Amino acid sequence: MSEDAGLADEIGVSSADTVLVGPAATGSFPTGRSIRRYTAAATNLRSGASVGELLGDVYYVVITTAIGIGMALGIAGQLRASLPAGEQTTAGTSSLSLPGLVVVLVVGLAGVLLSLAGRLGPVGSAAAEATWWLGLPVDRRGLLRPSARRLPLLAAAVGAVVVGVLDGGLLGDHHGGQVVVSAMVAALGSAALVLAAGLAQTFDVRRGATSLVGDLVLAAAPVLAVVGVVLGWHPGGLPAVPIWSVAVLALVVAGLAVVVERRLDDIPSRSLRVSGSVASQAAGAVVSMDSRELGRALTDSAAAPRRRRSARFGLVRGPVSALVSADATVLLRSVRHLVQIVVAALMPVLVGVVPQLAGRLGFAITLVVAGSVAMTATGEGARRAEMAPVLDRLLPLAARDVRRLRMVVPGVVMLVWSLVAFGAVGSWAGDLTSWLMLGAVSTPVWAGAAVRAAYRPAPDWGGALVSTPMGALPAGVTLVLARGPDVVVLGLVPVLIAVALGHVPSAVVIAQLVVSAIAFAVCSSTSTKSMMERMTDASGTQAPGAAAAATGPKSRR
Amino acid sequence: MRTLSGVSKTPAIRAKDLLVGYGGEPVCAPVSFTLAPGRVIALVGANGSGKSTVLRAVLGLLDPAGGSVEVFGAAVDEREVGFRTAVASVLDDDAYFPALTVAEHLYLTARGHGVRDAQTVVDEVLKEFGLTEHGTSLPVALSSGQRRRLLLAAGFVRPRALLVLDEPEQRLDLRMRLRLAERLLAEKASGGAVLLATHDPALLRAVADRAVLVADDVSRLLSAEEAAVAIEQGPR
Repeated sequence: MSEDAGLADEIGVSSADTVLVGPAATGSFPTGRSIRRYTAAATNLRSGASVGELLGDVYYVVITTAIGIGMALGIAGQLRASLPAGEQTTAGTSSLSLPGLVVVLVVGLAGVLLSLAGRLGPVGSAAAEATWWLGLPVDRRGLLRPSARRLPLLAAAVGAVVVGVLDGGLLGDHHGGQVVVSAMVAALGSAALVLAAGLAQTFDVRRGATSLVGDLVLAAAPVLAVVGVVLGWHPGGLPAVPIWSVAVLALVVAGLAVVVERRLDDIPSRSLRVSGSVASQAAGAVVSMDSRELGRALTDSAAAPRRRRSARFGLVRGPVSALVSADATVLLRSVRHLVQIVVAALMPVLVGVVPQLAGRLGFAITLVVAGSVAMTATGEGARRAEMAPVLDRLLPLAARDVRRLRMVVPGVVMLVWSLVAFGAVGSWAGDLTSWLMLGAVSTPVWAGAAVRAAYRPAPDWGGALVSTPMGALPAGVTLVLARGPDVVVLGLVPVLIAVALGHVPSAVVIAQLVVSAIAFAVCSSTSTKSMMERMTDASGTQAPGAAAAATGPKSRR
Repeated sequence: MRTLSGVSKTPAIRAKDLLVGYGGEPVCAPVSFTLAPGRVIALVGANGSGKSTVLRAVLGLLDPAGGSVEVFGAAVDEREVGFRTAVASVLDDDAYFPALTVAEHLYLTARGHGVRDAQTVVDEVLKEFGLTEHGTSLPVALSSGQRRRLLLAAGFVRPRALLVLDEPEQRLDLRMRLRLAERLLAEKASGGAVLLATHDPALLRAVADRAVLVADDVSRLLSAEEAAVAIEQGPR
């Protein structure tokens, strides 16, 4: 009876007349920590991983991170060396200084971290944990502690690296110790942002509200850039961060961490389940190197479920218009992709107003990168069709025609993007018309690449794996990931030549027209094999004949 | 069976004009029902009618869009340890720890609920659900029906006052469905309350006292026989 009374106290839901059936319980429950450790011990027991393999994984992570940071620092340093001198920037001109741009990027980083923290929880339980842990009458604090620490630590690492590269690599006007202090402040600030999001989650603030705040901060970054240009804001360098700010931020982070941990029991299951699901999907997308799946995980899956009004498709007259309308609807319903396109269109404009970036190198890089970002967004309809092939089979259209029709929406969108982006280049070069014309004739390259990338097959993780400094990757993964970007790089050679020359000769426009036609033809192909594989297959097909030809005379003899 | 006071008066569930949905948009008409201890109520309705959504609201996994729902006389709050002690649920989850065996999943559940002599209880439940031979198997080695049995077993390996099941007949063969029906009848007899969503008229006839027809226009309280006939006739 004493046990019953103890249990009744815990039940607290008019438990005086609650009937418990099933196995008898002791009335005392284990701790969440012991449950988590039991699960971890069983997992470790059967993982089959030796200490050597574990150390190998740690080695890969350390080496990969070091290589990545080294490459980023090198690129940033080279970029700084090759950019025009910052002294050209003077007050009163319509431009943004490089330090000003760095400030804008740091604000954007803060927005991204907060937005991601909201979308990922930041505290969550993966599907198995949600199913088998969250229903247990144990303290959830013990179960969720590692999950609550994971994202703040990751954010701290990202913040430190990004700010360290920007301060020490791109700006290069601080000594090593000062760069370390800046990186530490960034790390602590990033962790504080994610912990703040975690605190909001413990108060059952809707995850969408947190991510919206992050999105607004992110949107404030380009606004800050524009305001800076309009008001003639030209900081000559970033201020040195005082060392005491590290101590202050460390206290803030420690305080937030303690409060969040104490409130972990207050996070509802529904929030933990959704957050864990989004995080698992995102992690799977990262491992599969599928950027679109990652985007879907962080937007569609992170959004609250809702019903949509069915589109009427009044313009549909047959399979051709049905397919194009469907692609357009998919794109128009995805706010994330529309924002992605707008941001990608503004990138060349932003480069045009930063004197240090507004040059041949800056525009060449920006056109390829921003164009690729926009292109990826336009291929969403095609990508979804690739993932669910039945969509294409439902329409009475040849596969090759389907590919061509799926280029319509990307083509239209990328034409608009090209007018803005190449307009920025034209303004810089002082010849708007020629650059706009070049942009227009390059549109088929983007449209084709969007469809080619969308229909790329998934890397074969079941086949042979290749050991790389970035861990084990499927053989041929590079060829898979290069589908689409390969067309961009090769198809934009005339554009890049024009950028390198600083003007648009007529021959370049004609060359671009020819290359665009070739790109259109290549991207209409339904073959999923790489060029190398197709050549190998062709030689393999010819081999028996060739062998017969070689041995025939001997046989006859 | 264990009775805290020996007399059960408070309804296990009292739903009044409970409205459920997503993004503020209801998926079905409001439902009202009262489930007493020792009784079984079945939720029936066409696919997508909102049965599972109602169950999720009862379990606190979804905020109601309107109306109210109480479990054992208190507002639903699954963050309360007492709620998790009293309420067992088996939804349509199909998630498992890949490195934990079948028996370890059940042991984790039993120990997590403070079950005395958890290993013995786990062995009994494994036998009852035909999983004894698979006790040392990892979930990946099981068929979908066996995984479903594991989930159901987890609902019975722990003490509970209310059992919430979402289409428990899914992926079960006929023999296991019959055994499930017997198990639910025993649950009733022991004083446990059961709320289940089902499409199986035989299971419904065997165990349910009443049924709630969940639908877009209006939700109605039916007898078990009326509900079984409604299922057999299909959506209208």
